[in-house]
Amino acid sequence: MSETRSITTATSSKRAQRLSDQQGRPGGSRGMRVLVTGILVVVAVYFLVPVYWVVIAATKSTEDLFGSNGFLLGSEFSLWSNLHEVLTYDGGIFVRWFGNSVLYAGVGALIATYLAAAGGYALAKYRFRGRNLVFGTILGGVLVPGTATALPLFLLFSQLGLANTYWSVLLPSLVSPFGLFLCRIYADATIDDSLIEAARIDGASELRIFHTVGLKILTPALVTVFLFQLVGIWNNYFLPLVMLSDSTLYPITLGLNNWRSQVDRLPEFYELTTGGALLSIIPLAIAMIVLQRFWRGGLTEGSVK
Amino acid sequence: MSPMTRRQLLAWAAAGGATALLAGCSTPGTVSPNTGPTIAPAAAGERITLTYWAWLKDLQKVADVWNADHPNVQVEAVWIPGGNDGGYQKLYSALAAGGGPDLAQVEMRTLPEFLLVNGLVDLRRYGADEVASRYNETLWNQVSYVDGVYGIPQDSGPMALYYRPDLLDRVGAKAPATWDEWFQVAGAVRDADMYLDCFALDDASWFAAMATQAGASWFRVDGDRWIVDMTDDATLETARFFDRAIDDGVMTTSYSQFSPAWFAAAAKDSIASLAGASWGDALLQGVSGAEGKWRVAPLPRWGSEGYGSTFQGGSTAAVLANSAHPREALEFAVWMTTSDAGIDAMIEHSGIGWSPNDAYIGSRRQQPSEFFGGQNYNEEVFVPAAKEQNNEWQWWPLTQQTFNILADGFRAKASGGTLVDAVVQGQRDVITAFRNKGLRIEAAS
Amino acid sequence: MSALTERPARGVADDPSRSGSQRRRRTSVAAPWMLLGPFLALFVLTFILPIIVAVGSSFVRVSRKGVFGEEGVTTEFAWFSNYAQALENGNFIASIGRMLLFGVVQVTVMIALCTLLALLLESASAKWPGFFRAVYFLPYGIPGVIATILWSFLYVPGLSPIIDIAGAMGIELDFLGAGTVLWSIANIVTWTYTGYNMMIVVAQLKAIPGEVYEAAKVDGAGPFRVAASIQLPLIRPALILTTVFSIIGTLQLFAEPQVLQTVSPAIDNEYTPNLSAYTTAFAYNDYNVAAAQAVLIAVVAFALSFIFLRLTSRRAS
Repeated sequence: MSETRSITTATSSKRAQRLSDQQGRPGGSRGMRVLVTGILVVVAVYFLVPVYWVVIAATKSTEDLFGSNGFLLGSEFSLWSNLHEVLTYDGGIFVRWFGNSVLYAGVGALIATYLAAAGGYALAKYRFRGRNLVFGTILGGVLVPGTATALPLFLLFSQLGLANTYWSVLLPSLVSPFGLFLCRIYADATIDDSLIEAARIDGASELRIFHTVGLKILTPALVTVFLFQLVGIWNNYFLPLVMLSDSTLYPITLGLNNWRSQVDRLPEFYELTTGGALLSIIPLAIAMIVLQRFWRGGLTEGSVK
Repeated sequence: MSPMTRRQLLAWAAAGGATALLAGCSTPGTVSPNTGPTIAPAAAGERITLTYWAWLKDLQKVADVWNADHPNVQVEAVWIPGGNDGGYQKLYSALAAGGGPDLAQVEMRTLPEFLLVNGLVDLRRYGADEVASRYNETLWNQVSYVDGVYGIPQDSGPMALYYRPDLLDRVGAKAPATWDEWFQVAGAVRDADMYLDCFALDDASWFAAMATQAGASWFRVDGDRWIVDMTDDATLETARFFDRAIDDGVMTTSYSQFSPAWFAAAAKDSIASLAGASWGDALLQGVSGAEGKWRVAPLPRWGSEGYGSTFQGGSTAAVLANSAHPREALEFAVWMTTSDAGIDAMIEHSGIGWSPNDAYIGSRRQQPSEFFGGQNYNEEVFVPAAKEQNNEWQWWPLTQQTFNILADGFRAKASGGTLVDAVVQGQRDVITAFRNKGLRIEAAS
Repeated sequence: MSALTERPARGVADDPSRSGSQRRRRTSVAAPWMLLGPFLALFVLTFILPIIVAVGSSFVRVSRKGVFGEEGVTTEFAWFSNYAQALENGNFIASIGRMLLFGVVQVTVMIALCTLLALLLESASAKWPGFFRAVYFLPYGIPGVIATILWSFLYVPGLSPIIDIAGAMGIELDFLGAGTVLWSIANIVTWTYTGYNMMIVVAQLKAIPGEVYEAAKVDGAGPFRVAASIQLPLIRPALILTTVFSIIGTLQLFAEPQVLQTVSPAIDNEYTPNLSAYTTAFAYNDYNVAAAQAVLIAVVAFALSFIFLRLTSRRAS
């Protein structure tokens, strides 16, 4: 019952959604409204403080950074010159770092989602020997911290000659045990065996069925897995730190930290760091704001049972 | 074939592959580059590119001066974070992965550590003996180990006292000539709500420099083992002195030199002096509003014993184990550190601490400095200081670990420990660390 | 042996969801493996093999002869000496203890906060829920390194407007001292992940059918009663999920302390277990001991998550 309800909620119109949200929800008096909204506003301020700070800081020169109060504008407004510096320093390496992040995270998440979907579908819709063993092992992989595998993976890749290459960061990013777990649960809950049987009777091959029927139904879960993996890879710091020594391969996290570590010796790096931090936040911030509605579906489909 | 046996086969294959892989997975850094035949120089007319990883600023501009005159040997500089801030990690991991640059900036104190992982080329095999005379004797000693030379001294850090005469005037003091005088001035300065200097609880290298000045020599080689003496009188006296300074509140421990909080405090006139190395002059210029306010005086002495100055930091250009062109790399390093053009370029672009060539300190350094209010501080203070250093000091193979061990002990100062205890316990922990690596070591007493 | 090889054939034949032909039976057996194949291959490469390498490496040690190791290096089997060395290392043990303390406090606070926010956002008293959801979710998109860089500027005296403002009011704040820096790190982690965890809870809250609320209203239950008796129990699966991830995340803490190290003297090179393993491998060149540490960290993480899942599932049944 709950599964059909969840699917219905995910596909109904937005207005009906909001109405059904509000219906029967607890609370509602005027006093409560003010109180609740007040709390939410205070919490929002907490979450926005560093973002506000970096916007202001990126407009300042290093002297102003030390001289003026962090929440107020300084004596000069150097935002454009700072940003220009960021984009052109060292032959535009910032842009390169950004491109690297997009490669690792975008391409990585895309392929990871596809592989996780294939695996989850296979585990959900087929009965075969070793199925539980495989699923159990992969589930164990969810519980093992990625950082514990990064070091030995580095030793392994060094032997294979893969260390300090794009592959050294890309390959581990293509594996998402949690993604497979999600897809399996979702496939279990939403893909009807009868649909598959029908397709089989029509003469379609198993792989064809997966691509045409399975993937389509799995789409909400796919979006969730993609976003989860995208953010995970984008934020990953330890793996590239261990694997990469060539700075042209760095993702933006490593690159910015590289600049920040130079502030002690060369104060002009303060401007590069604040400007760079601002530029790196903007795209993902926008992405998060726009995409947060997609987190609604898929994540807990199986658990509500 | 039924799935079961096929899977069995797969399992065996995987296990077999893994075992093979495991057998092949040797620990990195266990093969020496100095045992085989030497690598021949590049053929005449062959174009090669040398990579040089360093944290010097604008090193490429220095390299370009060489590149203009040497079309067949081009040098490419790559910036890495400061050694102890992640630079050495990068170098070690590059070496472990079988790669790495031709040249790297390795501090004097870290050369033995690289030796331990077979990371350096012995430059005597490529002609380093011929250039030995061009270098300051103390520095050359610090790059020579076990009949080999493993780095070309690039800069060093003779120490002196940078100070603010205007702030000292407020309390009627002059630049102190001995550490005891320093203590008194520190007290007076504290009364005026400023600090004379700060003590770094997280970086023991400054403390080591002070102990060196007092006459300490922590490690020496005796045959096939190390003798460690961190609890000698010189070191313990130094520790007691700074224990008192911190306990009496005349030295602050909330930040270390050249940290962001230090820059902020200096800009607000809360710091009256800095016992620092020659490379600190470039960093001092990053303090906002400091132009013309600082001067340089010789480092205070430890009474009548000890040395006139000491050293902190100081790097070499070392040739790394996986380099394909060690001979050419050596040539470039020697050019950079002894020729007039090279030294001038380094000072102008990279702001190196101090030239390793006794005969030439760089044309810029021979002039009075505007920033320091017209004082010709290099000729006046640093040239003599470079000659008064402790020649007995020797570096050992576990420097990063040793300094971390000491720093851990120093941190306990915040919760009631003492620097003396830190040094005593530190010696014990260092002995354990050496033995864990399989090296032989004894305590001196 | 032979009994095992025969059983799958019998099972496939008896399975009602499979019909007839030999060809379909064979492709049904190959198909799941083809679909799983790429994932499994990469999984073996990036999870299984490194674990094997780590375990193998941790039982080997390197011995050096001569003062600088110049007289030769030998690799030998080391039984458990690497593990003993790792466990004797006071810093490593301290780092694990520190993370347990950190985890207990920070995870509890963060889960409580995200649940509270989710409940508030989903209640009828909230205005502009979409806007607030977006704002709370925003920090999740900021990588931990960059978040730490930003917060570090807000922690350093002389740069921090917060310290300036507090100073003007006469309050002395020290975010980077020995006693406070751990909680400053906790603040960064909470700031980054609360929104994300909140979204998971919100998703689960949205799945609660409206009739349940109607029934509660008929029974005369007020908002707090509804929260306690209806919403909290129903969002339990989401809370369990977020807690397990937070536990795993706590043991992985690396970027935040490493970045703050340069501004806080109180953070040593082995402050967290991961930092300790990294320092051991790349600063001390003790790859074998670092492998032992990595294995220990993985085992602890696994054990904690497993125990937690067991506890919560036992209580459910």
